[in-house]
Amino acid sequence: MTTTVEAPYFNISDPAFAMHSEAVRNARERSWYARTNYGIAVLQYEDVSKLLKSPKLRQGSARWPEHNGVHSGIFYDWWTKNLLVLEGEDHHRIRRLLNPAFSPKMIASLVPRFQALANELVDAFIDKGRCEFVQDFAEPYATRVLTILLGIDENEWPKIAQLASTIGLALGVTLKQDLWKVEAAVEELYAYAEDLIKDRHQNPGDDFVSKLVLANRDGDRLSDPELRNALVLLIFGGMDTTRNQLGLAMQSFMHHPDQWELLAQRPELGGKAVEEVMRINPTVTWVTREAVEDFEHKGLTIEAGTTVHLFTQVAGTDPRAFPEPQMDLLGEHAAHYGFGGGVHHCLGHFVARADMSEALPLLAARMSNPRIAGDDEWMPDSGNTGPVRLPITFDKRS
Amino acid sequence: MKVHVDRKLCDNHGQCAIAAPDVFRMNDDGVLEYDENITDDQVDEVEEAIDVCPVQAILLASD
Repeated sequence: MTTTVEAPYFNISDPAFAMHSEAVRNARERSWYARTNYGIAVLQYEDVSKLLKSPKLRQGSARWPEHNGVHSGIFYDWWTKNLLVLEGEDHHRIRRLLNPAFSPKMIASLVPRFQALANELVDAFIDKGRCEFVQDFAEPYATRVLTILLGIDENEWPKIAQLASTIGLALGVTLKQDLWKVEAAVEELYAYAEDLIKDRHQNPGDDFVSKLVLANRDGDRLSDPELRNALVLLIFGGMDTTRNQLGLAMQSFMHHPDQWELLAQRPELGGKAVEEVMRINPTVTWVTREAVEDFEHKGLTIEAGTTVHLFTQVAGTDPRAFPEPQMDLLGEHAAHYGFGGGVHHCLGHFVARADMSEALPLLAARMSNPRIAGDDEWMPDSGNTGPVRLPITFDKRS
Repeated sequence: MKVHVDRKLCDNHGQCAIAAPDVFRMNDDGVLEYDENITDDQVDEVEEAIDVCPVQAILLASD
């Protein structure tokens, strides 16, 4: 990689590295990219938008297991064959077969159940005037939405949450030492998936998993192992992300109490609330790509194999694209990239959008003046972030 | 039937080109190109493209 202008540099593995920092904002002002200890980071909106969808880049996690010394096994097989890392026609074929189950119409039919679930969870703590938002709302909500979608017994949610989090260890640099736990979790989730597939083969209905079992395009179908792989990806990709994003939403609204009041009064702004939170405070703070071939972007030669991090939150608050970047549910803003983009755009985004756009106005309608009660704990800012623990107090609305 | 894409909304993610490759394609610059006039046997495919579009920018109308 050659460059004529000295680009800013960030050590993105440093736990103290912060997206919401003066240093990152200053870097974004003077350069469209920064060098990092692990490839380049793209900072400005226009460049994130362009490179996210560029055919010169592929999804950047395909060789993650190999980078960490894992070359075979049940986790390796799952990872290297899942939609997230497949490319070209292998990817498109699976995506075409999965798409109909994730359609907006399919998801809309589940909305009343999302509302009932959110109310049930709030009922359990509303009279106390306090809750631990992750444990009491975000995690059970995110996980039970998945059990509703998949038709798994809702009482199984703590087990599902624990298995999904264990697979999440695979994204850490300690993958090699955690591998035995990750593999056991994949195996256990495979068993859930196999039971569901078998059941829907025998008793097909009009539910989500039946749609996948019956998916057929020009005579082509998903094999049971392909479907099993996809269901585990759905659990893995849908749970932590939604849990974290709900926690981050609460954080953003606590910084913008006027917007919380607005949402309480106008629940139809739930959809806008999701978009705004994901623009200024996304859980996926960067999307990783890898250059397939040498190419040039704005005078910088990016060599094949270079890792390119697209900084979604930094782009989503870039004053060039958002002259007034602060949270504004009534504003008209450019699209954010909290769901990634291009061929790998999040498959489950309609589910996430639908469940969070029900949860947020409902929370606002029942709790006023939410504030942090201390002892909150957060994941590092790199990759997928969010609260580990978020104790809050609030006033119950009558 | 006639396909219309709202270019103000379209963000060139290319999901339509995956769902309905006979009608939608991405050019070398990563910009969407598509056939406005489609045949009856392409309608199902286009309806899938309409559903999967992340920004819901595609419309189908009878001509």
